[in-house]
Amino acid sequence: HIGEDASNLLQHVKFQSSNFENILTWDSGPGSTSDTVYSVEYKTYGESKWLAKEGCQHVTRKSCNLTTETGNLNEFYYARVTAMSARGQTATMISHRFGLMQDTTIKPPDVTCIPKVRSVQMIIHPTSTPIHAEDGHQLTLEDIFQDLLYRLELRDNHTYKLHLEGKQREYEFVGLTPDTEFLGNIMIIAPYYSKESAPYMCRVKTLPDPTWT
Amino acid sequence: GQEFRFGHCRVQGVELQKLRKAFWTVKDTVQAQDHNTSVRLLRKEILQNVSDAESCYFIRSLLKFYLKTVFKNYYNKTTELQILRSFSTLTNNFIVIISKLQPSEENEMFSIIESAHRQFLHFQGAFKQLDTDAALTKAIGEMDILLTWMEKYYQ
Repeated sequence: HIGEDASNLLQHVKFQSSNFENILTWDSGPGSTSDTVYSVEYKTYGESKWLAKEGCQHVTRKSCNLTTETGNLNEFYYARVTAMSARGQTATMISHRFGLMQDTTIKPPDVTCIPKVRSVQMIIHPTSTPIHAEDGHQLTLEDIFQDLLYRLELRDNHTYKLHLEGKQREYEFVGLTPDTEFLGNIMIIAPYYSKESAPYMCRVKTLPDPTWT
Repeated sequence: GQEFRFGHCRVQGVELQKLRKAFWTVKDTVQAQDHNTSVRLLRKEILQNVSDAESCYFIRSLLKFYLKTVFKNYYNKTTELQILRSFSTLTNNFIVIISKLQPSEENEMFSIIESAHRQFLHFQGAFKQLDTDAALTKAIGEMDILLTWMEKYYQ
């Protein structure tokens, strides 16, 4: 049921997802006030029944975590928000059709950058997700995106730039000048779904060469 | 390079990622037109019931239906919605896939062909239960479901 012009109380109902953490967000409309309350429902595409999201009923905040309810990689989902103003106005607005694989974005990786005398080692830590396999174990991004790879870049403060790329999680940039500052950029890429994370950045300085004294 | 392996059928020369990118650009526009969120044409039960051996016959029927019924009758809408370029990419690649599918028609394949056709008829039946425009819009909007299913056969 859509009340009067829904956008008067409610706008931009959408899923915001990164690393499969799925948050429904919305904005208030020009006609809403601070005591307007919101209730969230969700369902799988193709089902007729809407399900109320516990914890997001008659709330004043404008977001709701639907990660648990929308955790099947092979499904598509809808959510809808009903706004109720103190003066008894109601409005309902539905989200776009949400599919995890295509709609989630990828966060920067977690990386340990280790400077040595003539090299910098980079260790990329696996990224767990809230998605579980059928046997219950938690899946990492690598489990989910079969073609996932890492793109690494190391720059000094001038023009010197090195690139490495691959599926493994340990890399080492070698042949560097001791006692020099470098900036590392490390990104996750999932080519098939055209996904690319923002870079993780680390600033490191190679160690002084003890033989140079 | 990569190819589709629908049962014993092999299809090379089609980049599934290109199809996904083409659909991705029209997805929100088309799906926003589908106001019936309670009906899904390519239901899980249909797709899960298609065995590997049946997949070649099933995809052939489905893609033919998309070309001859869905794309053909949705064409005018694509100009209205300004999604013609993506739509052409999808259409052309479906034609290539169908042209390269060579399912065996031997007698012992009869029960497999029959079973694959039954699954297709479930899809077609759901399509026919809807008003034509709504059915066309829903079928186009469900191409991410179709492409996701096709991915399983892409190696």
